[in-house]
Amino acid sequence: MSVFVTLLKKECLESWRQFSWFWVPIVFILLAIMDPLTTYYMPTLLDAVGGLPEGTIFEMPDVTAADAMMMSLSQMSMFGVLIIILLTMGTISGERKSGVAELILVKPVNHSLYITAKWLAKLILFLSSFIIAMLSSWYYINLLFDTITFTDWFYMVVFYSLWIGFVVSLTIFYNSFSNKPGLVAAKTVGTLVMMALVNSILFHRLPWFPNNLSTHIGQMLNEGRLSQELWATAIILALLNGLLLFCSFATFRKSTH
Amino acid sequence: MPLQVKQLTKTFDQHRAVDQISFSLTPGNCIALLGANGAGKTTTLRMLSGLLKPSSGSISFNAFAQGKDIRAFIGYLPQYPVFHNWMSGREFLIYVGELGHLSKEQATKRADQLLERVGIAEQKNKRIGKYSGGMKQRLGIAQALIHKPKLIMLDEPVSSLDPIGRREILSLLADLKDEITILFSTHILNDAEAISDEIILMHKGKIIEQGLLSHLREKYQTRKIELHFKPFDHVEIPKLDKLPSVLEVTPHQEGVTCLVENTEIARQAILELAIEQHWPLSLFSIGKMTLEDMFMEVIDK
Repeated sequence: MSVFVTLLKKECLESWRQFSWFWVPIVFILLAIMDPLTTYYMPTLLDAVGGLPEGTIFEMPDVTAADAMMMSLSQMSMFGVLIIILLTMGTISGERKSGVAELILVKPVNHSLYITAKWLAKLILFLSSFIIAMLSSWYYINLLFDTITFTDWFYMVVFYSLWIGFVVSLTIFYNSFSNKPGLVAAKTVGTLVMMALVNSILFHRLPWFPNNLSTHIGQMLNEGRLSQELWATAIILALLNGLLLFCSFATFRKSTH
Repeated sequence: MPLQVKQLTKTFDQHRAVDQISFSLTPGNCIALLGANGAGKTTTLRMLSGLLKPSSGSISFNAFAQGKDIRAFIGYLPQYPVFHNWMSGREFLIYVGELGHLSKEQATKRADQLLERVGIAEQKNKRIGKYSGGMKQRLGIAQALIHKPKLIMLDEPVSSLDPIGRREILSLLADLKDEITILFSTHILNDAEAISDEIILMHKGKIIEQGLLSHLREKYQTRKIELHFKPFDHVEIPKLDKLPSVLEVTPHQEGVTCLVENTEIARQAILELAIEQHWPLSLFSIGKMTLEDMFMEVIDK
């Protein structure tokens, strides 16, 4: 156990020294509040740059609080996920490439603990940044749009965390048998794109497919109730997380030799 | 025996990097793993340290590690050690010490001792990224020792150092010899000769000679007789070939070198011939074969 704490502390210290603990939360906050804010201030912004010509009829779309919240999430799904992949792609493969992994793995360190510590350290960094980002977005939406209850916000954060966990697990999995960080990123992005494609083709048949998580969360925010599909998707994501982590243990052990 | 290796083989694709080697290490000895580049030294050490899985054969550490993680008992220094450059030397040592099951206090104490011992105590709080190659090598030796292993394996520990650094590290290793078993690889024969008790000579993946250095010296050194003449014009060398026990005669600028089977018999015969022929002998010596001569001879066979 103490070895695990040592490994975890080292990972957190590394993120700290690389200033990840500063800029990841800041970037996540910007991503989360950008769209709701620009949407709300669009008329003001248009006026400020000269306004529309006389007589233009321009109907601003009616944006609900739930829509605004979903804007935050959709930014996270794009750029947030990309940042997560880029910051995780070298966590094992980079250490292998440089050779420092050799020094660590000749010490009596359990390989599964080594991976789990990395997985958990990334999860702590990204989830806390995500929570902070969603808190700030929640604050502005309640201020500018309409009230979203804490319960709804809380469910949204918990369910979406599973998706963030999935991205981390997937990147760690590709890390576990590679020593090329770039390749890890490419494989992870490729897998996510493939999943999105499969989902867009088979959406109606596979309501529990992981990529539908945001859709179900949006529905929950609009209707105020947790659908069966949301639970199913969440459980599948949780299982996938565990499975990917477990597979990483095996592939890592195999590829170290 | 802290370590016993039997029929160890590693095949990469079609190439046999290590080919059925067997040896055992005597506790408390310093063993040099000698060989030219590509002889299979690094592959052997990586297999022993658990970083590489053997294709076949066995490695057993049974004397002190029945059913335990053998990595707790060994320290390993790769040929080009790489560290977390964002850590300081001291932080890194404490980190790997804790990974080696030391408590925080023990690891800190041991790290400070070792930093002193390998001679980088002054720069211990500097980021490793700013260390020179020699300092990294020293830090590498310290990290191999941090968890008090019973056996340390060092891959070319001094090859990348300058002459002064090399001498310092070699004397450090000589000091350590009393405490732990050291297995180190090198292609520099002088280094092996300077501190090792035993050598294992590898060539093309096979062990071609091994044993105590003193035994090997005895085995090889007495088999060379050196003759110098002054002047060296009218000496009839072919006659030497026909003497009992003389195997091979190689002429050179000042005289000849004879490889002999039995020194006693050959000496007698050569000296008798020298008197009979009135050779102008200026030097007669029973050659001390250096490790280098031995290396060349064994490889030639």
